[in-house]
Amino acid sequence: MGGGFSGLALTSLLSGSGFFPQKSLGADGPLAPRPSHFNTKAKSCIFLMMNGGPSQVDTFDYKPELRKYAGKSLPQDKRYINSGGRRVGFLTPNWRPFRPGGECGILVSDYFPNIRKHVDKLAVIRSCHADSHAHGSALVQMNTGMPLIGRPSLGTWVTYGLGSENDSLPSYVVMLDKRGGPISGMPNWSSGFMPATYQGTLFRPTGSPILDLNGPKNFTGKAQRNQLNFLDKLNRKHLIAREESEELAARIQNYELAYRMQAEAPEAVDLSDESRQTLESYGVGKFPTDEFGKNCLIARRLVERGVRFIQLYSGGGHLEETWDAHESIEKNHGRHGSEVDQPIAALLEDLDQRGLLDETLVVWGGEFGRMPFSEGKDAPGRNHNPYGFSMWMAGSGVKGGTVYGETDEFGFEAMVDRAHVHDIHATILHLMGIDHELLTYFHQGRKESLTDVHGRVIEGVIA
Amino acid sequence: MRACSQILGFFLLSLQSITGADRAGLDWWSLSEVKQPVVPEISGEENVKPVDAFVRNRLKEQNIKPSPPSDRHTLIRRLHFDLIGIPPSHEEIKDFAHSNDKNSYSELVEQLLNSPRFGERWARHWLDVVRYAETNGYERDAVKPHIWKYRDWVIKAFNSDMPYDQFVTEQLAGDEIDNSSESSVIATGMLRAGTWNDEPNDAQEYKYERLEDMVDVVSTAFLGMTVRCARCHDHKFDPIPQQDYYRMAAAFWAGTIEPGSAAIMGGPSAEQLGYKEVFGWTDIHRNPPPLHLLINGDPHKKSKVIEPGHLSLAPHLDRPLISPPKESRTSWRRLQLAKFITNPSNPLTARVMVNRIWQHLMGKGIVATPNNFGFKSARPTHPELLDWIAADFIKGDWSIKGVIRKIVLSETYQQSSLHSNAEKCIEVDPGNNLLWRNNRRRMDAEALRDSLLHVSGELDLRMGGESFYPELASEALEGFSRKSSAWTPSPLKEQFRRSVYMISKRHLLVPLMTAFDFPSSEKPCGNRNSTTVVSQSLAMLNNHFVHARSQRLANHVNEVSNSKKDAIVFAWKKILGRAPFVDELTIALDHYNQQVNHFKDINDQAMKVRGQSRAVDKVLSSGLRFWVSADVGKTTDPNGKLLLWKDRSGNGHDVTQADSERRPIYVGKAIGEKPAIRFSGKKEFLKIKGQVIKGQEFTLLAVASDRSSSEEHREIISNWNGRAENSTSSLFLGLTGKSTVRFSDDFSSNNKITGASGNPFILSASSGSLGSQINFNGQTLADRGSSLKERRMDTEWVIGQQGNIEGEYWNGDIAELLVYERQLEPQEIESISKLLAQKYNLTMTHSLKKKPVMDPELQGLASVCHVLLNSNEFLYID
Repeated sequence: MGGGFSGLALTSLLSGSGFFPQKSLGADGPLAPRPSHFNTKAKSCIFLMMNGGPSQVDTFDYKPELRKYAGKSLPQDKRYINSGGRRVGFLTPNWRPFRPGGECGILVSDYFPNIRKHVDKLAVIRSCHADSHAHGSALVQMNTGMPLIGRPSLGTWVTYGLGSENDSLPSYVVMLDKRGGPISGMPNWSSGFMPATYQGTLFRPTGSPILDLNGPKNFTGKAQRNQLNFLDKLNRKHLIAREESEELAARIQNYELAYRMQAEAPEAVDLSDESRQTLESYGVGKFPTDEFGKNCLIARRLVERGVRFIQLYSGGGHLEETWDAHESIEKNHGRHGSEVDQPIAALLEDLDQRGLLDETLVVWGGEFGRMPFSEGKDAPGRNHNPYGFSMWMAGSGVKGGTVYGETDEFGFEAMVDRAHVHDIHATILHLMGIDHELLTYFHQGRKESLTDVHGRVIEGVIA
Repeated sequence: MRACSQILGFFLLSLQSITGADRAGLDWWSLSEVKQPVVPEISGEENVKPVDAFVRNRLKEQNIKPSPPSDRHTLIRRLHFDLIGIPPSHEEIKDFAHSNDKNSYSELVEQLLNSPRFGERWARHWLDVVRYAETNGYERDAVKPHIWKYRDWVIKAFNSDMPYDQFVTEQLAGDEIDNSSESSVIATGMLRAGTWNDEPNDAQEYKYERLEDMVDVVSTAFLGMTVRCARCHDHKFDPIPQQDYYRMAAAFWAGTIEPGSAAIMGGPSAEQLGYKEVFGWTDIHRNPPPLHLLINGDPHKKSKVIEPGHLSLAPHLDRPLISPPKESRTSWRRLQLAKFITNPSNPLTARVMVNRIWQHLMGKGIVATPNNFGFKSARPTHPELLDWIAADFIKGDWSIKGVIRKIVLSETYQQSSLHSNAEKCIEVDPGNNLLWRNNRRRMDAEALRDSLLHVSGELDLRMGGESFYPELASEALEGFSRKSSAWTPSPLKEQFRRSVYMISKRHLLVPLMTAFDFPSSEKPCGNRNSTTVVSQSLAMLNNHFVHARSQRLANHVNEVSNSKKDAIVFAWKKILGRAPFVDELTIALDHYNQQVNHFKDINDQAMKVRGQSRAVDKVLSSGLRFWVSADVGKTTDPNGKLLLWKDRSGNGHDVTQADSERRPIYVGKAIGEKPAIRFSGKKEFLKIKGQVIKGQEFTLLAVASDRSSSEEHREIISNWNGRAENSTSSLFLGLTGKSTVRFSDDFSSNNKITGASGNPFILSASSGSLGSQINFNGQTLADRGSSLKERRMDTEWVIGQQGNIEGEYWNGDIAELLVYERQLEPQEIESISKLLAQKYNLTMTHSLKKKPVMDPELQGLASVCHVLLNSNEFLYID
């Protein structure tokens, strides 16, 4: 057991429910809500993960110079690892035009015409950089800080730092793309060396969203209620001689919580009480927005229910099923852009209208970006690029309508106000009210933190 | 200048030597020599065993009396779990409880220590420590071939009580020792059991990550020291200067650390290793290239060359390494590291290992941080006891069983977890650090799964060999980037083996296991968390695996009992090892009756629905969305090819083919003298009008024959559509290979049928809340607890090929085809199969396997069993 909290979960909920009023079970359970380090309105974070790596020069980082240099090679002095040993082609300008949006006039390409309407809410960071050119380790780095698997993920740290506001739903939810999970799998939402309590829970957008939420048909409803009553009697009898055991008492109570969760988790994904207008705005029921639209809408519902950290994946599996546009930027980003553009815009709008955007941090980005050059003469795709890429944040505490940082004239590498993944993480924690240097977990003789000895809060994106 | 640096050196050395307020020096307690302390005398008590004497002595200081001995039932259960990880049977408990032989306990200890189950239990503890999993992680998460032999080696080592010094040496240098053998080389698999990145960002940098992994596992596992922390700078808390990290790392620098072929996964080739089919480690250099100290651990900032050597925290063992003899292929660095670690005067080795053993038996180590004995460790609660056992361990030829024996024979181990004056004791010592009672423990993940199988009579005790893949709910597999290829469950008969033989795959650990704190295996794990969380209750309440055990046990106790009361008593004995008390039996019978009545009500309602009409068309018309049969409603073109096939379900899903070249032919006497539509296997298929079903509960039924001689995929019905992107979420039913049924890409494993080739058959498949099943000629071919993953139903439906793929054409007859938008119950499938068998003159091979759950009384029993398996009394060990 490493951290300052005991392995006994949810004891606070016992005392909270008055179930064992005579017991002082304390508010130190691992998921009890905890005060933040700073004053902040932020309660939840939605991380929109563009799995595969969207191209910055085709989305949020307009590089007119690329037109000038089109067909030329990237200068020799620009060093990089050519991921996967693919063909190295020539500098290629943006595939779709950029246009200014909002009052701030930030340029956003035509892959995201709807998000562009909300650009006044966004702080675009154009100087992101990461340490790996390979999907597997880069995804793990974007999620855990290090390109080596085995560390707790961002959602784990946030949940560990702030606890949970809802005991009937998991506090850290991950919704994957139907096409598949991200490369490297579970280490992307792992709790690493922290207890599994803080691990991300995979959440499915229909029916029964959590694993083991329903048993066989004949042991649901009344039959299960009968079982729980019988179980409770046995467990209480067992407890009599072991009264001092908080753990046994907690486990008794957990069965009631599980029973409640069975009702409340499906309700969280049941969109039947959403208005037609809302459903339409997210593109639910329409091709190609249906899936991501539903997930975005569910994310809003989870925010309303106090879920702390929600990660949505766009793209799953491999290559063109993700944003990994080796074959063609236009085909790939055209396809994935049209899947997510309307839903993300609707999410920002909906959160805003409901007054939830002040309490919710929204983060958008992939595990890396893409090269400004093609994969061969007239080849329409681009290879991986961890040296410079764009992400954006919106919502609680974010200075909307801002651009932070710059890449070089080619959009190849971050040059001005470079923002490493550690800096992004430090900033996300900060916006959630957590000091990244103070949130530590003691493990094997060392105080571990999300950002290790690195990370600096990017003041430029904070309101 | 020289004098100055000498003085400075001396000054630094002394800083390093003396423990201060914020760091440990060479005088740190765990670095001092292990001397066997004198066993304290306990006044007024005689023949006190050494372990008890040390514990009592501290309790006396606090004026606390230890709890009384455990009752015999509790004791045998505890000992079983601690030594072999499986509960005792009711008979074993009874015999032990009633035995008057004063040696019965020590005999039980010997019996369990000699059981092959012992090694399986204790090997798993060790596998945690050495971050063992069977795949590499990262991009491809490939399985490490033959790594399971290392797991088997560990099991054998524990079972044969391999001396611990040999245990250490073989894992570190099994290839370098005098009497090296295939077995000792398998042991070096420990060094490679961690993660391996097949596509690192920078292969040159990644070498240093691999070194760190090996230094980390070796120094924490064997020495309880976090040497890893000294990669970038001198250790902040312990006397481990930065150069010591590199001195130790040099031992691994001689191996295949340079980037090489991905095929051998960063290890030596079979030629280099000397063995085929072994996943081990060896040096490829006798004189490796120099290893530089890295400033801040940064591979791009090389500083001075570091000579291989030992950790300076044990100065009396710190001597220069010798060069290997001329004929040696290897550098002898790991061999000398092993000698350093296993030197009886190494202060850490024995302490660290006996503390691990103590922790597994007592619930908590004497040092609560088993992988860290440095400045940031927990202080030992009984330092003298730790030293006494450590010294005894070394004197006893490093026998692990010897240490276990000493501990479990102590009164401290045998005391009750209940204390008559617990409240007062908690005030003085809330953490039970003084051991005034036994620590109650929750079963760990393996003990729980193994116990579930054991009490249901299903545990398969075959030892060793390749790991099995358990059947998982399809939703559990959603995290894979390659969904279909990443996980193929092993044949059912493999799935009842002990959990130590279950695959541990880094991309997906088995959810039931992680719910109960099975650790992530990227880093060494010395003690698992023991959490109490809602997901555990959900898993125990709902997981198919747990229900299947309840059902199985209910069937068994029902068969051997004369009354339901007897059956409940029997189940109680099986699960909890004791008969129920009168009041417990009363509430159990109440529950049983309540459930039986409930299930009867449900059955009655279902029967009523079924009884409303006896005619097959009507009985089975509920939920019927599509129905074609070749004897009714077909129209042929002038060539006798099928032009139109009317949907008989009344939903208007008529079947057509506009292209005359692609129409299958109508055959008047095909199956059982009845007509059928014959597909040539060459581009012939039919289109169904409209969307057949929308929901996720469905049943497909076909009367068909297969004439294909190829082993390629061939489909009866499908809505696959690559352009609409449902290539992994379409619904189809067809065959592949010789005769393997594919029921969408989510359910395609091990469903071989026999007698299908050329012969007509009835094939049905259903999915929904009853799970998913495939039936062939009335026989249940496959029955999975979980439904299919969500299918997309909105794409065009066709008969005779794989959707719009222009391929996977059916070659054979289709006489009748039915699609329901609900999951038919087994009885319904049976009755419709019977009717179809009559109509087409087919033989039903077997009566459909009836789900035992449908019998209300059996369900009632299963419910009682299931609740007992969920009880705290089952899950906790007092």
